[in-house]
Amino acid sequence: MIHIALAGGALLIFIGIWGMLTKKNIIRIIIGFSLFDTGLHVVLVGLGYLKNRTAPIVDADLPAKAASSQSVDPVPQAIVLTAIVIGLAVTSVLLVFALKLYQSKNTLDINKLRDNTND
Amino acid sequence: MINPIYIVAIGLGTAFSLGLLRKLGKEFSFWVTIFALGAMAFISGHWLSAFLSHQITSTVITTAGGKAPFVIVFNMGMTEALFSFMVTMGAVFSGFYLHDRLIESGPSAMAVLLAGTMGLNGIILTGDIFNLFVFMEISAIATAGLVLLVSDFKALQAGFKFMLASGIISGLLLLGIIFLYNSTGTLNISELHSKAGVILKSGGVATYLITIALLLELKPFPANGWGVDLYEGAPSGVSAFIASSSATAAFFVFLKVLPLGGDISLRIAAAAGISTFVFSNLMALSYKNTSRLLGYSSIGQLGLLVGIAGLSKHLGDKTLMIILTLLGTHYLAKAGLFWLSGIVKNPNTDEWRSLRKSPVLFAFFGVFIFALLGFPPFPSFFGKWELIMGLVATKMYWWAGAILLGTMFEGIYLFRWFSRALKLQNNDTATPAVTIYSILPVVFFGFFLFYAGYYTSTFVPALRVMCLAPLLFILLLGLLDFLPAFLKNIISLAGVTAYIVYLWPHIQGNTFKIVFAGIFLGGAILALIAGFYRRGKHMGFYPMTMLMFLGLGILVDASNLLELFYGWELMTIGSYFLLIRGERSLPHGLSYLLFSLGGSLAMLFGFALAHASSGSVDLSALNHIRIMPALAYSLMLAGFMTKTASLGLHIWLPGAHGEAVADIHFMASAILLKAGVFGIILVLGGMGNTQPYAQKILFVLGWIGALTALIGNIGAAFQESAKYLLAWSSIGQLGYIVFGLASMTHLGWLAAYGYTITHFLYKGILFLLIGGVAFRVGTADMYKMGGLIKRMPFSFFAVLIAIITLAGIPPLVGFTGKWLVYNMILSKHLFYQGVVIIISGVIAFLYLFRLIHVIFLGQLKDRNRKVKEVYVWLLIPAYLMLTAIFALSMFPDMMLARLGRMLTPSFPEGALVWDGFTASSRYGTFNLQIIMAVIGATFAAVFLWLVFANRKAQKVKQFNIFYSGEAPSRPELTHYGYNFFAHYRKAVGFMATPLVTRFWDQLSQGLHGLSSYGRAIYTGNAQSYLYHIVAFVVVVYLLSAGGIS
Amino acid sequence: MLKKLFALILIGGLGLIFFQLYNQRSRREGLTKTASYYTEKGPAETRSANIVTSVVVTYRGLDTLGEVTILFAAASIIGFFLKRSEKGSKDKTIRNQSSELLQTGSMLLVPLIFLLGIYVFVNGHLSPGGGFQGGAIIASGTVLAFLANPSFEGGRTLIHILESLSGMFYVGIGVAGIFLAAGFLDNRIFPTGNVGSFISAGAIPVIYSIIGLKVGAELSAILYSLRDTKEQQ
Repeated sequence: MIHIALAGGALLIFIGIWGMLTKKNIIRIIIGFSLFDTGLHVVLVGLGYLKNRTAPIVDADLPAKAASSQSVDPVPQAIVLTAIVIGLAVTSVLLVFALKLYQSKNTLDINKLRDNTND
Repeated sequence: MINPIYIVAIGLGTAFSLGLLRKLGKEFSFWVTIFALGAMAFISGHWLSAFLSHQITSTVITTAGGKAPFVIVFNMGMTEALFSFMVTMGAVFSGFYLHDRLIESGPSAMAVLLAGTMGLNGIILTGDIFNLFVFMEISAIATAGLVLLVSDFKALQAGFKFMLASGIISGLLLLGIIFLYNSTGTLNISELHSKAGVILKSGGVATYLITIALLLELKPFPANGWGVDLYEGAPSGVSAFIASSSATAAFFVFLKVLPLGGDISLRIAAAAGISTFVFSNLMALSYKNTSRLLGYSSIGQLGLLVGIAGLSKHLGDKTLMIILTLLGTHYLAKAGLFWLSGIVKNPNTDEWRSLRKSPVLFAFFGVFIFALLGFPPFPSFFGKWELIMGLVATKMYWWAGAILLGTMFEGIYLFRWFSRALKLQNNDTATPAVTIYSILPVVFFGFFLFYAGYYTSTFVPALRVMCLAPLLFILLLGLLDFLPAFLKNIISLAGVTAYIVYLWPHIQGNTFKIVFAGIFLGGAILALIAGFYRRGKHMGFYPMTMLMFLGLGILVDASNLLELFYGWELMTIGSYFLLIRGERSLPHGLSYLLFSLGGSLAMLFGFALAHASSGSVDLSALNHIRIMPALAYSLMLAGFMTKTASLGLHIWLPGAHGEAVADIHFMASAILLKAGVFGIILVLGGMGNTQPYAQKILFVLGWIGALTALIGNIGAAFQESAKYLLAWSSIGQLGYIVFGLASMTHLGWLAAYGYTITHFLYKGILFLLIGGVAFRVGTADMYKMGGLIKRMPFSFFAVLIAIITLAGIPPLVGFTGKWLVYNMILSKHLFYQGVVIIISGVIAFLYLFRLIHVIFLGQLKDRNRKVKEVYVWLLIPAYLMLTAIFALSMFPDMMLARLGRMLTPSFPEGALVWDGFTASSRYGTFNLQIIMAVIGATFAAVFLWLVFANRKAQKVKQFNIFYSGEAPSRPELTHYGYNFFAHYRKAVGFMATPLVTRFWDQLSQGLHGLSSYGRAIYTGNAQSYLYHIVAFVVVVYLLSAGGIS
Repeated sequence: MLKKLFALILIGGLGLIFFQLYNQRSRREGLTKTASYYTEKGPAETRSANIVTSVVVTYRGLDTLGEVTILFAAASIIGFFLKRSEKGSKDKTIRNQSSELLQTGSMLLVPLIFLLGIYVFVNGHLSPGGGFQGGAIIASGTVLAFLANPSFEGGRTLIHILESLSGMFYVGIGVAGIFLAAGFLDNRIFPTGNVGSFISAGAIPVIYSIIGLKVGAELSAILYSLRDTKEQQ
């Protein structure tokens, strides 16, 4: 399980970086970033997984006393929750930038979206 | 104590509530924001003051009622309090500065500023590494938001690049964090620090990712294009915030996490940091956009700090002091400069000339620039000193050298910017729009820079209070600058007198110091007496004059190398501002400043070697340096020779001095150059002449002296301007002095001292009076003068005596020096050099003859028919010096015998033997009184004969002449003084062509060429910048893979 | 082409780093020390059945406050950025009306979606889910409302008030923890009740509700800002 999660996460990260480094369209670059971010989240959760264990929620199936021996690590789960929201915020701001860049230059090509006024 | 959590609570609570306060108006929201920021600053400030007064120790504040390491904690220690205070104060003032833009964008923008500041505080305070990530993201997103306070394309694309870059960087950080958690089982930073063993075993790569991500946040070369563009694109108030507050926080967290990675991280930091410092400053050379320059400079400074952190093992317990002084200076100065750039508006460096229209702001511009480059009295001066001392003491020569090189690069573009802004004419520019919101932060940070310098110096035991007192006096003068010149002149005279009274007990009995104190401070009095001729206010003159003179005073008074360097740098600043006052001084003033900077950096390295081999900074450390002595002494000599304008380092002088007005020319030539002599004497005294390396250095130095004398005199002969002539002549005279000193003999030193004193006197007369003449006539071009003897008899007489002395013609005291030098040449068998010296002596006759002949003799020009005698205020000091020349000529033993007694302990051999007024050396005797009597009698006889023989001569009217059939095409051709030595120029002019100038020009072009290669990196393409970031991570990993466990 | 090759090489390099990372990871059989503490003491200390929630809202509550701040900052930036550059173009873009089906359906669904969102965040301490999930569901309701009626204007003021008030309450509850309990964001300012019951875990459900409202409001505010952007031809 963990290997699949980690490998899948890494693959997503690589695809994301590939997109960020090679795509011309800034929307695609942002999608690349999103994939990169998602890959990270998969790796995060995957790393906290322990074999044959359950979600860290105390209920009928998981009495409080057995929690530490039968649940997976709650820390990466808490962390990934935060990371997802941060990623969401960053992506939304990036998209608004893309929108504005498009409005000012009428192109989404990253090679044309630079400032050439330097002396 | 107030719980630091309230910093977060106040910041966020206010940010959230701004939405509800909309109804009350934007101004109200603005003030609520400023007030909240102020309250946050107050919290960290009151912790800081408690720490400083040692009332408390570091505390850990837990949240959520749990216990560490299981809950997020805040750490509050001295450094945390300081950094948090700095960050928040930066936000307060930047927010204040951004008033107009914040009002325009509304409460949401203010909320973003608050949230960002809160985030930066969180970065500093938090003790949890994932929480750190969260706070970093808050400040990153807030930064991107603040960039958008302006809505031009530049800001837009800068913000976009920044978001992308920081997205990828924080992704790597997150990856590192989770794997570190996986291997150590904790996120608490203190606990991580205690788990070094575990990290070493299974957390190496994770730690590497964290370290490299935090390093990338600090924009290391070359993966920093997005950073430079951010500085350039952001509105200036926001750039100020990024450069001061954000950078401070980012650096702090880097410091906090760096030790996790062990030695390999330190090495990465050192290499990446220092190369960033050198290359960012190199890159900056080819740009003229101020925001971009400041961006490179900021990145460079942070790189330097990262490098210092990486070298912390070598710097030991001084590390923190060095970091705080450099960071503090960068923080204050860079914020100030970015704020100023918003006031100037136009991003071109040259447009800063418009800032001169508000002199107070311009003064602060200067303060910020000099502070950034580590000049006293600012904190960075002490930091730079300790840094170089520490590195050299631990044999980190290359690192120290690279840092000095980077500083030099930084100096080139900052000084170029500053001096162009200072001198370019600005009639056509608009007056900068200054509001209370833009000016207050600048003024506050500017003054605080001084206070910070003072505060730092109280921690430096080597610096005595008397080195600071003069600065207070200068500050007073600066505040009184609105007074008329003569009042300020009187105050300055009082100040110099007071300093002499203070200094006298310290130098009593030390002939060496008395000689130089006499030249420096006695010269100051004479120069100030001459200063009474000035009318009006003469703004800015007196503080800078006093800065130079009191710097020279400190130089003489210095009891250790630090004080020496301190005085030297103060004198450099003051003299620069004097030299640049001339009309066309722009390029010369700049090259003076750059040579001075280079010289003082070389000196600093030399001092550091001296300190490293003796373990102390006392002046005695200069004696017998053991570590790389040849390099150490050469560097120090080169440093001091920038001021004596010796061959190769002389190109700044003719222009800088030639453009100066009378009394400034006097100060610069007769007095200032001697500071270099003072230093050379100190160095040579320490070096001695016994070691083989010393003999080689002395041999080279001797030749430099001789050739300088030759080149200086040749140069003088070809000048049309009397001032340039005198300036070149000074180069030559200083060449004699260096030659004499390099001989390391009794006679040579005696001659050098003699020249030092007499050059001061006769050049003093010449500078004051020729300057005065030029002022009256309205030009310094000699062919426009002539016949002035009738209008200015007093000047003529004094100038005549002065040039007789200069030429070394008997009977006046100048002859003594020449006699001594020739004796020395004979005794040391320096025949080749001797020939050069003698030739240059002959050339001196040529130009001196021309000087007196062309100006005072011959025909009076029509337009000069009404000129008046030179100002009496210039004549008074000139005649005082004339009296001194006569006194010394009549009683040469008064000076020479005393100097001889001083030199005998160091050079027992070959001393003069005195018998009454007769001195004898191995090669003969010499009695100036007899010579004077003989010459006087001869002169009287010839004079009487001429009067008798010419009794029937007929007086011819001035215009009773003809041109011998020649048709002069230009008016100056009718003057025989024009191109006086054309025939000599044909013969030996090639020697005067500025080969040296060409060398420096090409060096400069080469540097700029190298710098413009940088544009291949900084393409402005966001995607390339992402490449750089990823490549940086991979390449650094591969380079250090062996070290990462 | 060369650029792509370089990208490939760089990704290969990153792959090497990741592989080392993977090799170095510690292959744990049990929980880390920190995780053991949360699972052993968490339910007892916070009385929250959902241990992740106790970590998110209490032990690492500062993170959560931080992420709310990030959302808030993003919404603010998008708000002032889009609004300011839209100045001067007062003319409302005429948008096409949606189909009757969508309009009618949304009238039924939007309140239900809101209700679901509220259900998710008030139960965050008991079951999977919580403030962020609930808030996101609420925002999806807003999306539906926009889709159904592109010039939908309702609730704009409410959103801004909720945005501010919920944030202030969040900080206020955090500060109350300093006075009434053992520290900032301590959840024991209210009676903690029994693990598993609806009224339990002290301030956690309150905070999660606030977060839910805040996240819903922030995301809706972003949607409003984006909706108001003038279309360009």
